[in-house]
Amino acid sequence: MAFLELKSLNAFYGKAQALHDVSLHVKPGEIIAIVGANGAGKSTLLDSVMGMTTTTGDILMEGKSINQLSTAEIVQSGVGYAPERFNLFPYMSVRDNLLVGAYTSRESIESNLAIVHKLFPKLKERQHQETSTQSGGERQMVSLGRALMTSPRLLLVDEPTIGLAPKVCGEIAVALKRMCDELGATIVITEQNANFAMTLASRLYVLESGVVKAEGTVDELRGDARLTEAYFGA
Amino acid sequence: MMQIVIQGLLLSGLYALIAMGFTLIFSVGRVLNLAYGAYLLIGGYVYFTVSQTFGVPKPIGLLIAATVGCAVGLLKYRFLVKPLKGDHVAVEISTLILAVVLQAGVVFLYGDSSKILLPIVPGVIQVAGASVTYNLLAATIASWAILIGLYIIVRKTHIGRAMQAVSMDNKGAAISGVDPDKINMFTWGLSGTLGAIAGVFFASYTQLHPAMWVAPLIIAVAVVIVGGIGSIIGTLIVAHIIGFMEIISVALIAPELRGVFTMILIIAVLLIRPQGLFGREELQ
Repeated sequence: MAFLELKSLNAFYGKAQALHDVSLHVKPGEIIAIVGANGAGKSTLLDSVMGMTTTTGDILMEGKSINQLSTAEIVQSGVGYAPERFNLFPYMSVRDNLLVGAYTSRESIESNLAIVHKLFPKLKERQHQETSTQSGGERQMVSLGRALMTSPRLLLVDEPTIGLAPKVCGEIAVALKRMCDELGATIVITEQNANFAMTLASRLYVLESGVVKAEGTVDELRGDARLTEAYFGA
Repeated sequence: MMQIVIQGLLLSGLYALIAMGFTLIFSVGRVLNLAYGAYLLIGGYVYFTVSQTFGVPKPIGLLIAATVGCAVGLLKYRFLVKPLKGDHVAVEISTLILAVVLQAGVVFLYGDSSKILLPIVPGVIQVAGASVTYNLLAATIASWAILIGLYIIVRKTHIGRAMQAVSMDNKGAAISGVDPDKINMFTWGLSGTLGAIAGVFFASYTQLHPAMWVAPLIIAVAVVIVGGIGSIIGTLIVAHIIGFMEIISVALIAPELRGVFTMILIIAVLLIRPQGLFGREELQ
């Protein structure tokens, strides 16, 4: 059974339709990537899974519909989200940002904090620093750390490398891989940087104007000349 | 001079208590609750009815007033603010209308004349040559206890961190598992409770009157604008600045100018530092 499955999903912002008949699935313990250009609907797709848009169609987690759940209930059911703009709490310390993430999983605060500090030692060193004074890379780490504090079994990560230096992108990639391998998390990332996505994901979905245009393994998609030119470089 | 210092400290404590519920709502819910003074009106009249008319012990009367204030806050959020969410002008006009309606209700039930609310703690004590009523002293102690408790709740507890989170980033809070709607509900209930308690002390310091909601609203707005929205410490400090300005103007300049310097201070802050002296627009 798929861990996450979207069936004929349509998403709307008011009257504007942002996703059209999107279907995809994620197997347990797998990393998949959704690649596409700016405005393709990648963030909308993740927002929709989190119950933050108006949708039709089905969103199933372990076979159960989560369409009618509130965002807080979806988090409680085991979905963590690190959004593109981080949405951190700028005048709270790194530690307090992480502790907000523990709002629904208070029994595992210490163990989750230990995991976050092991993955991102910098966050322990700077635990008393306000996030408004941090670099983009550090804020991405706090965002991922906060998502981990929710004890997720499924982690949604929106454009984890956008605006970050190559060295930091490498650190984020390593951390995501460890989350999957060591913590057993199932991960969905969205990326404009298809090459970064390929280093992590076992399968990819290509999204264009809210429509899934292609899907498959990296090797399968590399065989498509048009897609290779558009997304994966010559 | 000692009289000024002591009266200033006591009045400022009361002002801080009055302003705190208002700043909570603006910080967390982003709502300018122009009916905030109505909590004080309700608190004062409920306490008057329960304890002074029916003779219920004063602490229980205070508890009942606080509970009614909490209930009014919750109902106001559920049936007025939430349905109008996103339309700030509609919310502000509605809350103002609600305050006027509540005032009319009080006039209908109690008449439009002033009533004396007997001191919660009667008696007078001499402190360094200054006369201090136990009542205002009790209000100040209660005010400080509540403010310290509130500070600890906001800074050290899960619900407090969630309140800060909602005030800073609604989406960030939601994806952390915090339900912003429930946090708003909690904050409106807490604000109503604080307002009603402040109303009992304020009415016993001044008097009960159907229009008594206006002056505390102005105090709350003044403290929040000058202190900066969202800062508990800022609210406390500015409540003292305004309290002392009022006491000094009454004692040394002219009682008629009591509120004038506060208004001048508001305008000066809006011109020079619109975010307030301590504010960041988020709850801290």
